Amino acid sequence: MKLTRLVPVIVIGIGLLPPMTAVQAETYNLTVDQVTIDTGDFTRTGIGYNGTSPGPVLRFKEGEDVTINVTNNLSSSTSIHWHGLILPFEQDGVPGISYTGIEPGETFTYRFPIVQSGTYWFHSHSGFQEPDGAYGAIVIEPKGREPFRFDREYVVQLTDAHPHSGSRVMRNLKMMPDYYNRQQRTFMDFLSDVDSKGLEPTLSDRADWGDMRMMPTDIEDLQGVTPLINGMGPTANWTGLFEPGERIRLRFINSSAMTYFDIRIPGLQMTIVQSDGNNVQPVKVDEFRIAVAETYDVIVQPKEAKAFTLFAESMSRSAFARGTLAPAEGMTAEVPMLREPPLLTMADMGMAHEGMDHGAMAMDNGAMNHGTMGQSGMPMGEHVMQDGKMMSGMDHNSMGQGMSSTNAHVMPDGSSMEGMDHSAHGGMAVDTADPFYAPGSGLTPTAYNDGKFLSYADLKAQKPLYPDREATREIELRLTGNMERYIWSINGVKYADADPIVLQYGERVRFKFVNETMMAHPMHLHGMWSILDNGNGKFDPVKHVISVAPGTTVYTETEVDAPGQWAFHCHLSYHADSGMFRKVVVEGGPNQQAAASGNDILAGGVQ
Amino acid sequence: MKTAFSRIASASILVSAVSFATSSAIAAGGHSGMMGEVGQPGDPSKVTRTIQIEMFDNYYEPENVSIKEGETVKFVIKNSGEFVHEFNIGTAAMHADHQSEMMMMMEHGVLLSDRIDWDAAKAMQQSMGHGMHDDANSALLEPGQEAEIVWQFPEHAELEFACNVPGHYDSGMMGQIKLSH
Repeated sequence: MKLTRLVPVIVIGIGLLPPMTAVQAETYNLTVDQVTIDTGDFTRTGIGYNGTSPGPVLRFKEGEDVTINVTNNLSSSTSIHWHGLILPFEQDGVPGISYTGIEPGETFTYRFPIVQSGTYWFHSHSGFQEPDGAYGAIVIEPKGREPFRFDREYVVQLTDAHPHSGSRVMRNLKMMPDYYNRQQRTFMDFLSDVDSKGLEPTLSDRADWGDMRMMPTDIEDLQGVTPLINGMGPTANWTGLFEPGERIRLRFINSSAMTYFDIRIPGLQMTIVQSDGNNVQPVKVDEFRIAVAETYDVIVQPKEAKAFTLFAESMSRSAFARGTLAPAEGMTAEVPMLREPPLLTMADMGMAHEGMDHGAMAMDNGAMNHGTMGQSGMPMGEHVMQDGKMMSGMDHNSMGQGMSSTNAHVMPDGSSMEGMDHSAHGGMAVDTADPFYAPGSGLTPTAYNDGKFLSYADLKAQKPLYPDREATREIELRLTGNMERYIWSINGVKYADADPIVLQYGERVRFKFVNETMMAHPMHLHGMWSILDNGNGKFDPVKHVISVAPGTTVYTETEVDAPGQWAFHCHLSYHADSGMFRKVVVEGGPNQQAAASGNDILAGGVQ
Repeated sequence: MKTAFSRIASASILVSAVSFATSSAIAAGGHSGMMGEVGQPGDPSKVTRTIQIEMFDNYYEPENVSIKEGETVKFVIKNSGEFVHEFNIGTAAMHADHQSEMMMMMEHGVLLSDRIDWDAAKAMQQSMGHGMHDDANSALLEPGQEAEIVWQFPEHAELEFACNVPGHYDSGMMGQIKLSH
């Protein structure tokens, strides 16, 4: 039938195949090359694989042993990290932690078994090669039948191409952290605010934000990007073909250096079936947000013979990626306008921090409790600031006055501070508020059509990888930073000055991420899964990247089942490089000796 | 088997007691008027064929069925998965309607991934006037449960069997019922 003809390997009916008797062993070859990247807006030199950026889609089969020869044709050292894959740590591809990297002219051979299935990706873990184009997709076909059906599939790999090289971007950010912020508030905004809010509240607002060395538009460090889908800019318009009635599986991968995207396909609902390579219980949405380095697989079923726009809008609304699903090449549909940029609020500064225990809130079956929020979160008199460096410049007194003297403290975004007023809570749509954003956060997403926007709280494992059990201990990781000096850190200490996090093989560690900065951080632990505590108990989803929104606390648990040493970092390229990064050492376990000998290659800069 | 059937059938579907106060059995997702289109509960003595339907996470085996026009078929349905699943005979439009009811059950904590919370169902019944409802064209089964449905098909219809647990239909847990001469 047609289905099998179109996608012979991956479609339905895999379960009917006889079990493989011998382990498959395939060899793959990748070259790392200097390439030209043409976004439509600009052309630049960059880095790619086998002559293109993105590189080829690597298609593996669960259960196979892969051999991958990587030849470095660059004039500098390189590496490939297999993002999300469970493998021996020496194969993980992080210079200074897994190995020493791949020198110019050298061919490094990776060998590891494929023990999972789903959508993943690979990228360089050296310098800023990944933002410069060194990334590609990995698709792993499962041994058994998928818990969903589709007639064809496409990889939709997003990135945020920038005309400047990664190292130049980093230099500029270090020199002037708002170098790339094109949404700064202007003197005209000031006059407009004075007009609408009055002079005094406007001045007071500006003083508060200034003291925090942040601006309400500090949502993305890096603007001026051209988002690409599979290497194609909005004008080139990547197109996926379909026949009406078919189910299409879209494998979204966010390979951006810095950009979160809100993704929608106007006219189609999307059924989310997988996140970070692991199947989730299907949930139908109108729009979803993909953090940097996450993957989401969705199924859509267009029934009409017409074109649909695939629209991925950056979280700050400064740019978009655009593609099309259509019955024929050349067909297009309307491309939406960018929505108004969101503005950060006091909630994103951690002002509403106390009581924002999201794990616990989500426990209440996703329904937030007015009482809990009102009591513990909001009274300004009892407000406790976090002691992160970024907040050190804040004047608590004037803040407190501002909050208590006016019942409706006017926020920079023009809204009144609902979160500060108990009575205003009645007006919040508590049933639908996303518990993974601080209440009143300017970043809380809403769907373009007022429909369903995916929340982390909606993610439930289809088939949990691990039995649910009590964590053996908790490790607190405060996500910290000093925007002024563009230093990002964990617990106030940047990578170069930090001791490794030491875990014991066999334990189940609970990580408490406290985001004390005003930016969202997509935290990525290599080598072991991160089980997101979203209140779904044994169905808590299993991920490799956990986005922690400003002013929130998020818990994950990790079964420490992979000996050796691993990277653990914010996946925003310039945050990782500037210090929001840790080495994790797993002691004990079956491969203890390897872990010990690996300690010789600790030194050296990573990323 | 008979006992199991009665117990399960009583749980088979949730509809608005207001809209479907009568016992005209076949509420089937809110289009009682369309029932003629999809057939009717069959007379067990007229069953000409038995079809085994096995439900997994989240798919059916077989994926489609072929039935003769007007035929009376006994479906023996088993939930071999680890989640709650439904076998429901109807049109695509009926299934779409029914999905919003199932979503409501999920939002009220009645329909959980792997079981039905009967206490929550009672609470929902009391507070909203909605309750569990017998329906001859469907079976909502917890893991391990079995049920039988005897159904007489019409001469002409565009029918599907489907699981209307939120997300399941859209990810492919549905099949065609092909009616032939």
